[in-house]
Amino acid sequence: MEYNKVCLMYRNQDCTVDGIRSALGLAVENMYAYGCVMDEPKMEKFNELQAESLEMLRDMEGDVFATKASNCELNDLEPITIEEIGEKLRDMTHIIPYGIIKA
Amino acid sequence: MKILNVYRSEPDDTTKKLVEIVSRDRDADAFDLNVDSPDYDALVDKIFVADQTICWW
Amino acid sequence: MSKSIGIFVTNPDQFKHVLGITKAAKAKGASVKVFFTWDATHNAKKEAAFPELCKIADDVSICADSYKNMGYDIEDIPEGLDASKMATQAQHGIIIEDYDCYLSL
Repeated sequence: MEYNKVCLMYRNQDCTVDGIRSALGLAVENMYAYGCVMDEPKMEKFNELQAESLEMLRDMEGDVFATKASNCELNDLEPITIEEIGEKLRDMTHIIPYGIIKA
Repeated sequence: MKILNVYRSEPDDTTKKLVEIVSRDRDADAFDLNVDSPDYDALVDKIFVADQTICWW
Repeated sequence: MSKSIGIFVTNPDQFKHVLGITKAAKAKGASVKVFFTWDATHNAKKEAAFPELCKIADDVSICADSYKNMGYDIEDIPEGLDASKMATQAQHGIIIEDYDCYLSL
């Protein structure tokens, strides 16, 4: 069986929080689900529930990346460049530019 | 692999870079939704023949 | 055989496109499922044509948790929906797994 691979990309704080929940929802449905916090958002520190969602996503072989080192450090996200996430997208069955852009 | 890139707003540098990488060596088509009266009929035809549709911000 | 399209709506400013694409797809005999999440759930209360979308599309549902997060009472079911359409993210999974064509708006 071929599993779906889905990547959601976030460009503002509000969408990041809900978008990680969406990724987790897909992982629960037996998909490989990833999130990527793109360059714009200045993230806030995850609360306990959000940090747990990230942990659960990783337990199900998903992950959340971020292109900004400060976001990676703040919320324990995997560092990635725009070029690297672009290459990862080529391997995805579904690509989801999530929500709206807010600088 | 036939990719359909749909633009909901004017693509910025980040979007342009991602589109370039995702579309590389693939049969890529595009549709601009960021107009006054999009031709939804034409868009649906393009969606039906694409293997993957990506609606960029 | 006719195609099916699933639309995952995450942006509250895309409703006219959701409606336009749904109408065009239905005119071609496709089946259409739409799922609204996060601040796009505002569309269910603020877009006058939301009940029309519910009539045209084969299936419309919203994320109940998101709707609550946007400040609505989940007992206040938007016109066009019923309690069974106040749903979870599993609806997004169904769109990905079971529909021929996928769109995020």
